[in-house]
Amino acid sequence: MNVINIAATEKSPRVILNSDSNVFEMQGNSRPENVRDFFYPIIDDLKKYFESLNITEYKEKAIKFNFKLDYFNSSSAKFISDILVIVQTFAKKGFDIKIYWYFDDGDEDMKEVGEDFQEMISYPFNFIMVQR
Amino acid sequence: MKNYDVVINHKGAVSLSVVDSILHQLKSYINHKVHDKITRKRIYTLSVECLENIFRHADVNDEKNSLIKDYPPRFIIEKISESFIIHTGNILLNAHISNLSDRIEKLNSLELEGINLLYKESLSNAEISEKGGAGLGLIVMAKTTGQKIRYDFEKINDKFSYFAMQLNLKR
Repeated sequence: MNVINIAATEKSPRVILNSDSNVFEMQGNSRPENVRDFFYPIIDDLKKYFESLNITEYKEKAIKFNFKLDYFNSSSAKFISDILVIVQTFAKKGFDIKIYWYFDDGDEDMKEVGEDFQEMISYPFNFIMVQR
Repeated sequence: MKNYDVVINHKGAVSLSVVDSILHQLKSYINHKVHDKITRKRIYTLSVECLENIFRHADVNDEKNSLIKDYPPRFIIEKISESFIIHTGNILLNAHISNLSDRIEKLNSLELEGINLLYKESLSNAEISEKGGAGLGLIVMAKTTGQKIRYDFEKINDKFSYFAMQLNLKR
């Protein structure tokens, strides 16, 4: 079941959270017109999703976070960091969470900002370079 | 490629549709004329942050609107050889000058490493304002250009000034 299912627009990313596959994915561009209206419901749903899970079941069943972003503005960066803080909180509780940070070959800035986030939450990211 | 080009030259009100239209025009220019992916991305990043800042501070206010004819919001990108220079301008309240200049001076006093550190700290501490700003825009500008931010305030009257800023993106 898709707990979150938001289609992409030119200015906002596609966001999916599937409770069967346990995959959260954010893909595309992010500079929504109203950044709070866009991200607050995502953050709320993500928290509710984690709170609904039984930790004993998820110690060894990985929850995947895929960030496949081409571009995001500075206010979106703030909300992505909020999402990652939630990930950090639940990882500390014992959930097995894997973070995949995609960046285009040649887009070192996107890789670097992923490294900044990784350092910020002190939790390892898997970096995946995409050839286009 | 030409040594000098005016990529964007906008003077006038900045609404959401103006922001979209300028970014559309910019994308079409960079996709055709800028071959280096990282430069394309950086010009776009800087432009979004600058335009969103101008837009956020373009609140409707009769007193301010009467000044717009003589002090229009401005967003210009020039290409000089391999560098890009972005010029922005907008009216702001004199009461906001000291906070803004303190923030720019702080960034200008830091090396890139210090700016990166400030960025990481600010990500964790940022609060999103009513207008959707996270206070990260200037830091992103300093981080993306790796150059000092040039700026000036021209006093209009006792209440308002015109804030002009220049960003330099070198390849």
